[in-house]
Amino acid sequence: MFDFLIDGFGVALTPLNLGLAFLGAVLGTLFGALPGIGPINGIAILMPLAYTLGLPAESALILLAGVYTGAEYGGRMSSILLNVPGDAGAVMTTLDGHPLAKKGLAGPALGLSAVSSFVGATIAIIGLTLFAPLLAEVAVMFGPAEFFALMIFAFASMSVMMGKDPIKTAIGAVLGVMIAMVGVDSGTGVLRYTFGMAELYDGIDFVVMIIGLFAISEILLMLEHANRNDANDEIPPLGRVMVSLKEVLYCKWTMLRCGLIGFIVGVLPGTGASVAGAVAYTTEKRISDKDGTFGTGDMRGLAAPEAANNASAAGSFVPMLTLGIPGSGTTAVLLGALMLYNITPGPMMFSERPEVAGGLIASLYIGNVVLLALNLPLAGLFAKVLTIPRWVLVPGIAILAFTGVYQLHSDLMAIYLMLIIGVFGYLLRKLGFSLAPVILGYVLGGLMEDNLRRALSISGGDVGILWQSGISLGLWIAAALLLVLPWLLPKLLFRKSLDGA
Amino acid sequence: MKLAADRVLGLALIGLAAFAAAHAANLHVPFSYEPVGPKAFPILLSVVLAALSLIMVFRPGENGQWPDKTLSLKLLAVLGVLLVYALLFTRLGFIVTTFFTVLALARLFEATWLKASIAAVLMALGSYYLFTQGLGISLPRGYWLPDFA
Repeated sequence: MFDFLIDGFGVALTPLNLGLAFLGAVLGTLFGALPGIGPINGIAILMPLAYTLGLPAESALILLAGVYTGAEYGGRMSSILLNVPGDAGAVMTTLDGHPLAKKGLAGPALGLSAVSSFVGATIAIIGLTLFAPLLAEVAVMFGPAEFFALMIFAFASMSVMMGKDPIKTAIGAVLGVMIAMVGVDSGTGVLRYTFGMAELYDGIDFVVMIIGLFAISEILLMLEHANRNDANDEIPPLGRVMVSLKEVLYCKWTMLRCGLIGFIVGVLPGTGASVAGAVAYTTEKRISDKDGTFGTGDMRGLAAPEAANNASAAGSFVPMLTLGIPGSGTTAVLLGALMLYNITPGPMMFSERPEVAGGLIASLYIGNVVLLALNLPLAGLFAKVLTIPRWVLVPGIAILAFTGVYQLHSDLMAIYLMLIIGVFGYLLRKLGFSLAPVILGYVLGGLMEDNLRRALSISGGDVGILWQSGISLGLWIAAALLLVLPWLLPKLLFRKSLDGA
Repeated sequence: MKLAADRVLGLALIGLAAFAAAHAANLHVPFSYEPVGPKAFPILLSVVLAALSLIMVFRPGENGQWPDKTLSLKLLAVLGVLLVYALLFTRLGFIVTTFFTVLALARLFEATWLKASIAAVLMALGSYYLFTQGLGISLPRGYWLPDFA
């Protein structure tokens, strides 16, 4: 049953792939540490390079997955040291991480968070190894109708779990799906939304979309942050560098619990590290915060979100590898990267492309150890990244974005399109939208329409096929429950408390 | 009714939905082997988008913080720099355009002239050699410039 993993280690341990896993881990930690540049930005910037270098699919995926997991490690740096989350997954890390740094315990805080990241990720990678092949076996039975229902479920769970504003999450997802409609319709060859521009016949290029949406809009947002003076750019002294064994053992149950929570949240399609961190922190606070120390620099309050966000990163590979449905915004980008190689992740990947699936999972094990080894002793060095001034960072992002997009087709049109998408992304972020649903919608949009149309072709146009099988009916019900419960539950509880009174 | 950013956005999105639906409805499909065709899904999406936007028009969120005048000008300046970078990218070549872009961006992010110039020289030359020699990417040399090679 674990043949794929043994083969995978064979793939991941070749010198090239080992080097790429290492490079990805280092770059990812750096990208994660830089405020504003999270895993998606890092992957967006590196993806075109990986593609041009002519790396085989599994090698490119190993590099990018290394960046992803590395960024989850790196995101904690600026949360702890500057009280500014390095990426969305590290928001909850600021709550207890920064108070610890203020107490002069920045060094142990960095060490502890590295250990809890490692524990969380390890739990989730083991979970991934156990569950992914099982889920793939179930997923083989999925037909187009089931996949369509599954995507509806993914969007529903994302709308409910992500952010304060479910309506905006849903609008973002719909906009993403609509952007995916641009180009030649694969079923009939009809041109949709191309407005006579030949450049749009193949649709809006994935790399252009990602770099515009994330990198260019980030440049504009950084300008705003540079002009606001509420951020304190002074790095507190690290204090003693290593975390003691006692402190680690004090948090062991927290790490194990939150690693598990993070894995489960990560597996749910559509919800990523930020949700995992929040759920884990609030749960842990309820369980162990007896003295009200959470939020004032409690070690457990730091370990909880860090174990969870790293666990969710690995967990979100489960639906991506087995169902082809990304578990988070970042895996949506990785899914798109795989599609550039003409690999459509899904239930068949474990049997048809075992080197990709197994190699990736094996490289996660390796990368996780590399990351711990790098992050424990070198935390101080990585923390230096935070002092890179914006006037170096921003031109650097601009250069990478321009060359990345230009070298795709040596085409200026792509660069103009990237800038337009960048402004669009900036406006969306200013209006309180999260970009992950947009990218999820964009990546899934084409698949969603294909599956819907294929299902209806099978049934000859009868819509009933969409909920005829047990699996699809269950997914529809689950999706409906997800949408209704947050609204219904408080009312039910309220009535119960009235009856009790 | 208070004019909130979300209301304006909602109305704009309803407009977009109407436009997208009209475009899809006017698609000319010569023949189709399947019952759905290319029109139905975009129209369905437009309906969903319009419905969601309508909810937002009636229940807008907070207005958020919008940039003031000086910041808006700076944002436009950054966009302008990037647009000029794109316009001249192939005409003046990678090294020259990158030099001026880094210089301008660094100045907009409040570096001194000295620091900005040093950054511009180092980043333009460094990235050129990294991309061309290290990664084997071909970059534009600039067809407006005389050919030195």
